[in-house]
Amino acid sequence: MKKLVALMMAATMAFSLAACGNSDGGGSTTPAGGADGNTQQAPIPAEKQNVSLRMWGAEEDQTMLQGMIDSFIAEYSDYANITVELGVESEADAKDDVLVDIGAAADVYAFASDQLNDLVAASALQSIDSMDQVLQTYAGKSVADVKSANAAGSVDAATLNGTLYAFPMSADNGYFLLYDSSVLSETDVQSWDSLLAAAGAANKKVGMVMASGWYNASFFYGAGFTTGLNEDGSTAMDWGGTSASGITGVQVVQGMLDITGNSAFLPVADGDTANQIASGSLCAIVSGTWDATAAASAWGDAYKATKLPTFTVNGKQVQQGSVAGFKLVAVNAQSTNAGWATLLADWITNEENQNIRFEKREIGPSNVNAAASDAVTSNIAIAALSEQSAYGVVQVVGGNYWDPTATFGEKIAQGQLARDNEAAIQEALDLLIAGVSQPTQ
Amino acid sequence: MNEGKTGVKAFFGAIGGFFKEFGEGVAKGDLFVKLSLIWMGAGYIRRKQFIKGILMTLFEAAVILFSVLFAPRYVSKFGTLGTVKQESVFNIVTMQNEFNDYDNSFLILLFSVFSFVVWAVALVVWLRNIVACYRLQKMAENGEHINTFREDLKSYVNEKFHITLLTLPILGVVFFTLIPLLILIAVAFTNYDQQHMPPASLFTWVGFQNFANLFSSGLTNTFGYAFGKILIWTLVWAVFATITTYLGGILMSMLINSKYTKLPRMWRTLFVVTIAVPQFVSLLLVRNFFANNGIMNTFCSAIGLTGWLRDIGLISTSTIPFLSAPGWAHVMIILINIWIGVPYQMLIATGVLMNIPTDQLESARIDGATPRQTFIHITMPYMLFVTGPALVTDFVKNINNFNVIYLLTQDIYTTTDQLMASSQAKETDLLITWLFNLTQSYYNYKMASAIGIIVFIICAVFTLIAFNRFLKGDREEAYR
Repeated sequence: MKKLVALMMAATMAFSLAACGNSDGGGSTTPAGGADGNTQQAPIPAEKQNVSLRMWGAEEDQTMLQGMIDSFIAEYSDYANITVELGVESEADAKDDVLVDIGAAADVYAFASDQLNDLVAASALQSIDSMDQVLQTYAGKSVADVKSANAAGSVDAATLNGTLYAFPMSADNGYFLLYDSSVLSETDVQSWDSLLAAAGAANKKVGMVMASGWYNASFFYGAGFTTGLNEDGSTAMDWGGTSASGITGVQVVQGMLDITGNSAFLPVADGDTANQIASGSLCAIVSGTWDATAAASAWGDAYKATKLPTFTVNGKQVQQGSVAGFKLVAVNAQSTNAGWATLLADWITNEENQNIRFEKREIGPSNVNAAASDAVTSNIAIAALSEQSAYGVVQVVGGNYWDPTATFGEKIAQGQLARDNEAAIQEALDLLIAGVSQPTQ
Repeated sequence: MNEGKTGVKAFFGAIGGFFKEFGEGVAKGDLFVKLSLIWMGAGYIRRKQFIKGILMTLFEAAVILFSVLFAPRYVSKFGTLGTVKQESVFNIVTMQNEFNDYDNSFLILLFSVFSFVVWAVALVVWLRNIVACYRLQKMAENGEHINTFREDLKSYVNEKFHITLLTLPILGVVFFTLIPLLILIAVAFTNYDQQHMPPASLFTWVGFQNFANLFSSGLTNTFGYAFGKILIWTLVWAVFATITTYLGGILMSMLINSKYTKLPRMWRTLFVVTIAVPQFVSLLLVRNFFANNGIMNTFCSAIGLTGWLRDIGLISTSTIPFLSAPGWAHVMIILINIWIGVPYQMLIATGVLMNIPTDQLESARIDGATPRQTFIHITMPYMLFVTGPALVTDFVKNINNFNVIYLLTQDIYTTTDQLMASSQAKETDLLITWLFNLTQSYYNYKMASAIGIIVFIICAVFTLIAFNRFLKGDREEAYR
């Protein structure tokens, strides 16, 4: 096997040397697409290659993805005989299945942006920056073009340590406030205080997932705290101190306790949000586009969505932040046909296909042009999401982040911390930071 | 070997006898027996067992080829588990990634262990070969008949049929149980985790570091803390789960078999239905019933139970945390497990109870024993005698009872113990579910392997003690 690889390397090196010698020789054909000043196009082999790729996508997207594959194969039929095998893998679980055996994972797969750090830590992702030449030769665009075509946040979410690791596919993986406008007015939803008061008056509840570091970090991000990545793969967290906006972590926790301590607040389990909306006891919930259908059927025409409310910290109103989540499409670093895999990943995330994705599945595009279309901007959920995106943060965390933050949120949700006991709150914060910053034992 | 000695003694006796015969063969064997030391077929060919001789020669050749061509590539790196990290260069012309000649730590480990097993098997065959050749020599000297190959083959369907039958299962055990087990044990001594994941990265030996982490505790390493808590709960759970379902099963079957019970078959069928529904379905449903926002909580708050519990200070939350607070969840899990486990035990108990010697029950009745006395002095001892071994396996099974714990607590139980959370554990975890979480969500294979070894040791020690001390074969007299 390795001998074979070595042999191939030798052969291809000889070939590429020859190709360099006479780059204008009869062996190459003219590449597709436009070319501007600093293009670095590679010669294209005259002989058509046989390329077989494997791709994973969400179950409900299969038909749509097959259409994109067909157009991809047609687009590049001049250069290669491509076959693509499509498999089912939800974006939410991609990491779990990829990391079981990276070599056996698909060449191209979609995943939620919060998995990027873990995937990069395990060296599972092909650097897209290194594929610049491929894109220029075959797709007629550069990596810089890909970056500028997509929203800055989505590119940030796909970038780690200055390297772009995936193509942004959609910008719908964040949360905002969905509410029932027959109970709550537009002024009610401006702050948690008025929101909870109005909900309590109507004998309804406001739901939010507290036991998850994806949701509860929003309070800290809003107050100017950050998370980051240490060199050993653990999480760097400053929540124990004072943020750039001069707010202490203890004050944020006190603000959270004011919310969870209100009888109109309902802590919801992660994954149970749609059930809770359907149960009819809620008049508002912090959730995302995935619950838009449930909310529309529960609240009917009264269903509305907006940015997250402000919350009270030390007597002042602070806008609740959020995690800006995106869906990305990656190329497997262990993929043999990495070049064609990159082109496929680019193809299914280009403007045209992001438009198709919105038309068929109402998935909010990350492409700037696609996102600007009237159809997209008039979608209630996606409009609220883009409103919230101004306060969104790309969450960079290490492996041991999730369990300690879930527990921290659960303690707050259950009211196990007393609002006035600042020492106990500080101690809980210190334990949280010790937990998330410990390297993998 | 069969002289009344048992267990360990007989095992080592047999090994000693084997090596004695091997030594004798080497010392007293003729030229061809000695030649068999280096050419395995020699002894057979001398006795005109040509096919056997050729087969042995081929086997030897195969082992040598394996050892020369295949094994060294991996075994030579076994000490370091590889040093060359994967690097790839993209070739724009072929559009392919080209990898350097990198080391894959996992493959090195896998094939090294495989090679060791092959060599161990080869060694045994080699030793036996000398013994067999020496026996042939003695048979030839005594003028006995030496089997032809055809006769040998025939013997494998007649007097040596047990060997034929056992060959496949043993091969299966070696390849599908022994080798994975050895690899699991080896991984516990490496740093195989998310930061060191082949093929992109290498992992290497770290000695007993993982076990040290598992048993020590500090602010940045809470594994020791979590391990202690989880171990205690695992044992408490295993004891309660085993005893409650066992006693419940016996009582239930006595109740159903009682002559006062109408329609016993219908009742039995109803209880067996819980077995027929997959646990995956029934447990998830029960979990949703008892979730914080589930039916049970809605009901309890409607009838005012929730408020009353809050008034007397038993709960501080607005819902009853049936499956979401320590203590509550522990008790609920054991109770729900009774519902799941009793029908199995009931079926077993029904079978056993029907076979209780009636003369004993009769005489007890004539002597004026109360039903309670009969139960304690006759029924239970008999049950324990017959189902004792099953009880031990039940206990071990409960230590590893993944389904009940995982399905009941997954997604709805969040620990509020920050030290536990730092080690990705929660109070309701068994060692086995903790291990699952470590591998599935955190790819922490090294710690999972270390925990796996601990679980194995606990189960093995308990089983050995239980079988040797409490369930010896001569207990029958004690019962009578």
